[in-house]
Amino acid sequence: MRVGGTVRSPLRFGEDPLLWAAWLYYEEGMTQGDIATQMGVSRASVNAYLADARARGIVSIEIDPDRFRALSIAQSLQDHFNLSDCLVIPSEGGGSPLVDRLGAAAAQLLTRTVQSGDTIAVTWGRTVLSMADSVRPGGLQDLRIVQATGGTTAKTSWTPEACATTLADALGARCIPISAPAIVSSPDMRRLLLREPVIAGQMKVLAEANRIILGISSLRPESTIHSSGFFDAVSAQDYANAAVGSIAGRLISATGEVVDGPLEARTIGIDLDSLGKIPCRIGVAGGMDKVQAILAALRGRLVNVMVTDADTARAILASEGRDIDAPKRAGKPAAALPERVRVKKFLNRSQDAVSEMIAGAVLAHDELLAPIEGAPRALKAVTGPRPGKVGLVIGGGSGHEPGFFGYVGAGLADAVAIGNVFAAPPPDPILAATLAADGGAGVLHIFGNFSGDVMNFEMAAEMAAARGIPVRSVITTDDIASAPVETRAARRGVAGNAFVFKIAGAACDRMLPLERCVELANRATQRCFTMGIALEPGTSLETRRPSFRIGPEEMEIGVGVHGERGIASDRLVGADEATDLVVDRILSEMAPAEGDRVALLVNSLGSTPMMELYIINRRLRQRLRARGVMVHRTLIGHYYTSLDMAGMSITAILLDDELASLLDHPCHSPAWHHA
Amino acid sequence: MGEAAALHRRGFAPIVVDMQMFTRHDLTSLFRSLAARMDEEQDYLAELDGEIGDADHGVAMSVGFAAAAKALSEDEAAVPMLADGMMLAARALLNEIGATTGPLYASALMRAAQALGATTEIPLARLPEVIIAMSEGIALRGASKPGDKTMIDAWAPAAHAARAGLATDRDVAHILKDAASAAAEGAEATRAMMAVKGRAARLGPRSLGHLDPGAASAAALLDSMAQWAMVRSHPVSS
Repeated sequence: MRVGGTVRSPLRFGEDPLLWAAWLYYEEGMTQGDIATQMGVSRASVNAYLADARARGIVSIEIDPDRFRALSIAQSLQDHFNLSDCLVIPSEGGGSPLVDRLGAAAAQLLTRTVQSGDTIAVTWGRTVLSMADSVRPGGLQDLRIVQATGGTTAKTSWTPEACATTLADALGARCIPISAPAIVSSPDMRRLLLREPVIAGQMKVLAEANRIILGISSLRPESTIHSSGFFDAVSAQDYANAAVGSIAGRLISATGEVVDGPLEARTIGIDLDSLGKIPCRIGVAGGMDKVQAILAALRGRLVNVMVTDADTARAILASEGRDIDAPKRAGKPAAALPERVRVKKFLNRSQDAVSEMIAGAVLAHDELLAPIEGAPRALKAVTGPRPGKVGLVIGGGSGHEPGFFGYVGAGLADAVAIGNVFAAPPPDPILAATLAADGGAGVLHIFGNFSGDVMNFEMAAEMAAARGIPVRSVITTDDIASAPVETRAARRGVAGNAFVFKIAGAACDRMLPLERCVELANRATQRCFTMGIALEPGTSLETRRPSFRIGPEEMEIGVGVHGERGIASDRLVGADEATDLVVDRILSEMAPAEGDRVALLVNSLGSTPMMELYIINRRLRQRLRARGVMVHRTLIGHYYTSLDMAGMSITAILLDDELASLLDHPCHSPAWHHA
Repeated sequence: MGEAAALHRRGFAPIVVDMQMFTRHDLTSLFRSLAARMDEEQDYLAELDGEIGDADHGVAMSVGFAAAAKALSEDEAAVPMLADGMMLAARALLNEIGATTGPLYASALMRAAQALGATTEIPLARLPEVIIAMSEGIALRGASKPGDKTMIDAWAPAAHAARAGLATDRDVAHILKDAASAAAEGAEATRAMMAVKGRAARLGPRSLGHLDPGAASAAALLDSMAQWAMVRSHPVSS
């Protein structure tokens, strides 16, 4: 840390409050409150002075690059790929986008290593431009910056021309462009252009480069490569088979070799052989979508200095089979209790479990459920379809009991299709259920958003349509942990199904037309918010072993209902803190106003007993009361399970008068009964 | 001009006499091999799927292909056409397993049925077309692209290798072997991919470093197909 470039005490502070505040804070180590008292201003002013002092360069802060490099992950990356240098920055932080933070880190690395007389070739891209923007002049002489490829006509700010000129300006270097397009119309045109003296001279400078700055691009659909103007001329088909990424305008394979495509002979710019001969090849790139491309560049040694972020670096190493653990949490790990190696079960042959369960269910609930002739994996309601009533068909894999057949009955679903454990049912039982539920007014399919369910229900709907039964589908997406709110359609459908089935079942029972039933079911799923936490994994029926492992002091956040991991592991906490974790997420998305009404489902994922659910419910209600949210109805217990997983989920559905009235409509099924 | 070439010019080439055919019985035999291989791979696939999915892929592939092989073998006489046989296999597999794997492989086999056509046999040399058709069927039903960390990451390179092979005069066993190696490389490459489809997609970055079980089973199927073709086209004389 330096203040004003000197450590000598300034003579008079009074004229410059920024310098005064910065001195007291950074050199004297005083708190902002004490500085405020001494300067006779408010604490907020001190805070503003300090920010201003940073912005105006009165104070400059440098982070020791050794610290970054010392991160074990950077070391691993360096060792594994035999890099001469590697800088890994934290993946989160600062509120600025990753490309900007990577650019700033690369700028720091470049500033440290660049020497007078260097010729630096530069590619293009958002990260490269961001680096050029962050570079500070270092007073070096005879620097040359040369474009690594020809130019593009793309309407982006990060073209090869822009990246080279920006960097040259920042370093006070001479800029050598390549006065030709990066991609030309034919190999002949390329040969002609390269013979032009101006271009030949520029290419000669490029051949003299001793450093190169390389952006690395993935070829994924969301990649900016597709708006760069580089590959406009070719369709994805031409390269999708072999290429995993792009570097310096060339397509590369998983091992970092050039992919010979239609563009290879039409590209003006550095080729990969020449690139490999440049002594210092600095790659700057990060992001999960780029893992494959960066890995390819590293494997092919196209890059020997890497600047990336920790998550990307970890993913790259994981892809190479090197497991880098997440940083260890503070505190001593608790001694692990002996693991359950074989879980005891009341099962006969595991492959008979689903059929035997269905047989038992039909016997237990014979006043509600009936088999469907010729379809052993489908059941119908004894009350059956009524003429003119929309039929409601639900379904999914087994292992969620009482889901799904527990929601078949009066005022609920008319029929259900039952798959294997955690596997969507095939189209045939879905079709059988659809035929059984048909009352001549169309059939509504409701199922959770899983690719298997979507495909099988789609096929069954096509088959039903071919028999003249109109089918509409509503796909539930209530699991808020499974995807961000912007991609709500990608979310899983989980315990919120219970509310959606109930509301749709009531709408059908009230003889509403198909379109209205669809609309109400969609509204219900849109207003349903669920999140789950698991403490112990479920057990595979075949192996009788836990399907994965949760550490003794850990829990899994954002679990679904198929015995799978959550979206993240977290430190094990008590009931109130766990409830808060879920409630915070639900409330922030639901954003209820004071006085809004919700219905709640506090659900066991299998092994968690009622006692714990009530404790969770107690905290849940405290939080809702504090928010001024009214609770219209609470369901608590086993409503939608994940075999014997220990854990819970909380679902809240934001009601309006119509949804509340449908929720209050009488129903009678194995899992839900009220008059 | 040598004697054989002269014979060939006059239409007596041994190649015509010896042209190997892929028969309805071969279809059954091929599916028996595939089912046996999926049974062997069951635990390994379950383990892979347990890391990023719900551990059911091993069972699904095993029982699905077993059901397809059983249907083909039971109805070998009753269903003599290759296309009908493939449809039979598709239906048996689909209704045995459902899930995601069912519709995807059912679509693959239905597409292969179209490629085989209403005939009782085709030249063995056309077998690579089955790989291309299966890959297309899976891509259409699953709407996945290469790089999404799905079975397509094994099937697409295999189909590409099959197409490239058909354009040369390499023998069928070698073309299938190339396709199998391309699939194996493709499956291995899924380690570096982040899942965007299926259940693993919800794991996001946590899916990195893991092999995609669907791509792994696809590579095993293609390897099994190549081995079957190797034995079929170079029978060991006894």
